[in-house]
Amino acid sequence: MIRSVVALFVFAIFLCAYIVLRPNTSNRPSTVETTDVTRAQNDSILGPIPDVIASLDSSITQAPLPQTAPSLSVPTDNAKMAETTANVLAGLGLTVAPTAPQPQDDPMRDMTANVLSGIGQFTGKQVTAGGDAPAPHTSLEMLVVQALQQGQSDAYIDTIVNEAAKAGTITIPQGLATANGTVDTAVLLYSLIEKARAAAGEPPLPPTGANTDIALASDQDADQRFYTVGTGDSLGAIAVKFYGSVEKYDLIYQANRKVLSSPNAIQVGQRLAIPEVAG
Amino acid sequence: MRVFVATTGFLAAILAQPLYAQSVNITADKATSTFTVGERNFEITRTQDVNATLQGDFAKTSRPCPEFCIQPMVVAPGIEPIGELEVLSFLETEVAAGTGLLIDARLPDWFGKGAIPAAVNVPFAALGAENPYQADILRALGAQEANGEVNFDSAQRLVIYDNGAWDEQASRAINSLVAAGYPASLIKNYRGGLEDWLHLGLSTVLP
Repeated sequence: MIRSVVALFVFAIFLCAYIVLRPNTSNRPSTVETTDVTRAQNDSILGPIPDVIASLDSSITQAPLPQTAPSLSVPTDNAKMAETTANVLAGLGLTVAPTAPQPQDDPMRDMTANVLSGIGQFTGKQVTAGGDAPAPHTSLEMLVVQALQQGQSDAYIDTIVNEAAKAGTITIPQGLATANGTVDTAVLLYSLIEKARAAAGEPPLPPTGANTDIALASDQDADQRFYTVGTGDSLGAIAVKFYGSVEKYDLIYQANRKVLSSPNAIQVGQRLAIPEVAG
Repeated sequence: MRVFVATTGFLAAILAQPLYAQSVNITADKATSTFTVGERNFEITRTQDVNATLQGDFAKTSRPCPEFCIQPMVVAPGIEPIGELEVLSFLETEVAAGTGLLIDARLPDWFGKGAIPAAVNVPFAALGAENPYQADILRALGAQEANGEVNFDSAQRLVIYDNGAWDEQASRAINSLVAAGYPASLIKNYRGGLEDWLHLGLSTVLP
């Protein structure tokens, strides 16, 4: 009696072990099939069951082997936000180098601006982002991008940028403050074009200095050029005149550290050394 | 005589084959769906190759869940799920008339790989309450603010879709809209999404 009870007990243990271990031993493809079909049968809100099974059967036979597990990569939100930002600029034909500093970067605003322009194409009504958003969210880039998207004139962009700067809602990038304390939007727009050209692999723009009326002869020493700051000049504008690139403002700034406390602190009448650039 | 009939029947079958193969219609009497939004013309047809099968991402059956879990048919109370013919009819009437929008709720990288013609990309993340500019999007969709209250009387009718039944992006977009007060009666969910759309060989566009 005891012996047969023990035998039954042992048999029960083996049976349990078999049930527990069985799913691990079954091969993968049949697991996939079972799982999928079970999903369809249990979920009554899915469509007609025979169709689901039929389509599953056909798709399973065509599917790649399960060991090449579906690896649908989901990038982090931040990566996508950055992409969206790039898209906004790309939509304008502008590509900003990823290393460029972007103060007060606001990805949600960028994404929203993208969405709004998309909706506007169908509704015919453009809503601009930040209508009732707090002012500190404004970034100089977005201000300019939005204005460009709206097809506004350079003069309009100059006005809104300077109003925002006056109100303190944007900061003025280094080298873009004029001798009058305003923002040199002409140079800012030039800088955008410059970056777009560089991204498109086009040669840099030639220095504009040759075409301007600025007389250098009297200011010229043996191997040192000088430039006297005029009304409305910014370090960026001077850099464009002599080097054809806004980015070179730092070269002028470094050569004139004695008279300039910051790249944005230039004043009318200042005599600035313009260093030669090799090549 | 019997041989002649058989031969004729055989030839007829062979001749009929290519003719039949060139007519993959949307419905029995409709081969294309055409509509105009503003000044843009759209045309939606089906792939005519009867041997075409899905390749790549949308041929997969078993994405890991979580995070690609099967979505319910009704993602929020009162949200009607619809199919392809309803989407086409919505495009031809509401979208063409400017009273409706087909919304692709996927993130821009998905949208950029192909979308339903005339769809607008409104990523679900942009509709969330965590977006400080959510109100701007609601205004663009036709919501009006008066006395601190948002009025959706003249808001657009929306059909929202994502990658398909395994994708929760449309569900999230819809739930965000409903949470923001957008009436459920104005929103429909094309649950099959791009996967079902492609499975039927319907046209897509690269934005």
